Amino acid sequence: MLQRETMLIGALVTALMLSSSLFAQTDEHGDDLSGVWTNFAIEASRPFQNSALRGDPPPMTAWAQERYAQAKPTFGSKSVAVVETNDPVYDCFRPGTPRIYLHPFPMEIIQTPGRVLMLFEYDHTVRQIYTDGREHRTDLAPMWMGDATGHWEGETLVVETVNFNDKTWIDREGVPHSDQLRVLERIQLDEDDNLLIDITIEDPVAFTESWTGQRRYRRVDWNIEEFACMDNVGFAEYEEEILNYDPNATQ
Amino acid sequence: MIRKIASVSCFALGLLLFVVGASAHHGGAAYDGSQTITVTGAVTKFEFINPHVLIYIAVTDESGKVVEWSGELTTPIRLARMDSGGAEKWSKDILQPGDEITLSGNPARSGAPSLRLRKVIDSHGVALIGGTN
Repeated sequence: MLQRETMLIGALVTALMLSSSLFAQTDEHGDDLSGVWTNFAIEASRPFQNSALRGDPPPMTAWAQERYAQAKPTFGSKSVAVVETNDPVYDCFRPGTPRIYLHPFPMEIIQTPGRVLMLFEYDHTVRQIYTDGREHRTDLAPMWMGDATGHWEGETLVVETVNFNDKTWIDREGVPHSDQLRVLERIQLDEDDNLLIDITIEDPVAFTESWTGQRRYRRVDWNIEEFACMDNVGFAEYEEEILNYDPNATQ
Repeated sequence: MIRKIASVSCFALGLLLFVVGASAHHGGAAYDGSQTITVTGAVTKFEFINPHVLIYIAVTDESGKVVEWSGELTTPIRLARMDSGGAEKWSKDILQPGDEITLSGNPARSGAPSLRLRKVIDSHGVALIGGTN
């Protein structure tokens, strides 16, 4: 009997040691970024916080300017109504990176050993940032959200995302990118426990030089709830009725 | 059900209103942001659904004609998370058919009886969104 209890205690101690070593593995990699976060606009970004990373269009190449001219976004200086847009997000494609940050919905960060997960409420979009030292995949076709790997530099999570398709926009104002897009992020907590994300955009096909943007988030005690993009289809019908309203037809 | 005579009034948007409209989701090209219209009537339908909450009310104009107005708000999730400013939090039950309410917002450019809502006042006179009276 005593022997069985000793074995049981031994097993419990072993289990505790194993679990604490797992926790230690997460703890030793920078700050704990876990939690639900909502956009907390930096003052200078308020006018465009829901649609762009910067207040003016980035420095585009002729290749990008041609595509930008064809874009019909629902935000920004050349915005159109939803029924006229060619924004791929309205067809329920993934928003892409970094555009997903511009949609005004919260996201949850979950840190696990070897991986940081970003769960975006918007259409339940998930980013998996591998922090286990692996290289980028080269065997998969280009992706909507890209392939993200990260590492810790002190308390900062440094993320590199590549292998994008060229079907998404950088922002919600129609700025395009190519499949050569490389998104670099430095993610850290500021002194007030807000989440800061410094974003650098590199794409030699679309931009004449690299450019940057910054997002800030504050902690909230919310749950990530359901938001399905396909619900937008019903709303588009509602807006179409408004746009095509004929006052004489209802007299 | 008694339908109040609608008070339909336009005034220049000179006030800095708490923006809770739909612009965060899809822009607002369908609406004239430079105008605000206020209408009062009984709730005919309340849809607490994604991507935008829709409120419908029956409004009787000066000539006695009843017109159904609609108003759109932000997402239901966003409303449920914010303090409504009244005694209740926003939920799928906060408005009931027949409630006499007042809607203020930017009118549709097409002339359709639809608003991008800036303010909702419930049957008790409480501003559920858009600040105090």
